[in-house]
Amino acid sequence: MRMCNHSICLAFTLAFFFLTGCRTDYDIADVAPEEHLHSEDHDHADGETCEESESDHSHGHSNETGHAHSVNEEMEEAHAGGPSGHAHDAGDRNHGTQWFFNQPWAATFIWKKLFRDALIFLTLAVGIFLATGRRRKR
Amino acid sequence: MKAVFTFSLMTLRMLFRRRTLWGILLVILLALAGIASVPSFDISNQGRFVLDFGLFGIEVGALLLALGLAANLYPRDRETRTLMPLIAVPLSRWQYLLGRFFGAALVQAAALIVTCLGLMLILILHELPIPGDLLPATLLIIVEGWFLLSTVFFFSFFASPPLNWPLTTMLFVLSQMSVSEFVSILPSAPGLMRTVRLLLPHADVFHIKDPIAHGFNIEPVYFLIAIFYGLCYAAFMLSLALAVFRRRDLK
Repeated sequence: MRMCNHSICLAFTLAFFFLTGCRTDYDIADVAPEEHLHSEDHDHADGETCEESESDHSHGHSNETGHAHSVNEEMEEAHAGGPSGHAHDAGDRNHGTQWFFNQPWAATFIWKKLFRDALIFLTLAVGIFLATGRRRKR
Repeated sequence: MKAVFTFSLMTLRMLFRRRTLWGILLVILLALAGIASVPSFDISNQGRFVLDFGLFGIEVGALLLALGLAANLYPRDRETRTLMPLIAVPLSRWQYLLGRFFGAALVQAAALIVTCLGLMLILILHELPIPGDLLPATLLIIVEGWFLLSTVFFFSFFASPPLNWPLTTMLFVLSQMSVSEFVSILPSAPGLMRTVRLLLPHADVFHIKDPIAHGFNIEPVYFLIAIFYGLCYAAFMLSLALAVFRRRDLK
């Protein structure tokens, strides 16, 4: 009977893990919404200046707006002195900064997954604790 | 839980008496001082440079502290035969493990807070601004350190201390990798690698040095989620450690 309980406990744990975890792991860029990924989605030839204004150059970056000192400004400073003279308006993302915003702190759409993963690990921990404890008593 | 509390206080006192802790702490503080003295070749970026590398130094310090504090605990208890009388009467095995873990976790947290204060002092001495999120960032590194501590405990039950160091360091490195980087280790089996990656922690959850160095604010709810994630993963590793420990024949 105890063996049966043990098996049920393990099966429940594994099922919970695989069914709730559902799928294999993925990067933030794999599941990011369009507005998050395409915030810097326009190309320029070498030496060409980006002439888009803020209104027709929509960037989906609610996280970084309103900060006094952002990575965009720094990139602009760097670009302004560069060969292309490429400079975006303050608050706009610059090219090559996607990695920066594909971190968990900036990707709000990944926070639910983090919470879900945490719950799965907690359930696994409790399941393993109970299962190994039972085996010891037997 | 009273037994766990008492035993963790005993562990705490024992670890504070060891020279390993003070040696590692000194190395971290010297490294932070060294980082601050490296020129960034750009006056306006000096603060960012010191913050970024300083927080990275504290994170590596968390790994060193976890290994230095915990890799020897169980092997030494077994070698000196203090383990048998402990788990024969006053403590069960899970109480022994939790007592050792909480004691080491408190010592590690105290040491990491000291390194954070050291980084603040270095910033003040160089007349650089101290970001408001520096302490929360250190808190996340402390949680990451607890995860590493639980990993060290897990390996210590079936690996010797010299083997524990590379195993934990390897897990530390793997947990820093993104899923695509992890899959690139064995590109012929992407499904398997993605499934295995699911079981490894995402250490980038604890990394907020980039936004701090660039002056970004981070939403408080993110800290809560990241701390919860780290604690749950540490609990998972501790349960695995306990599963191994319960099966060990200590004779």
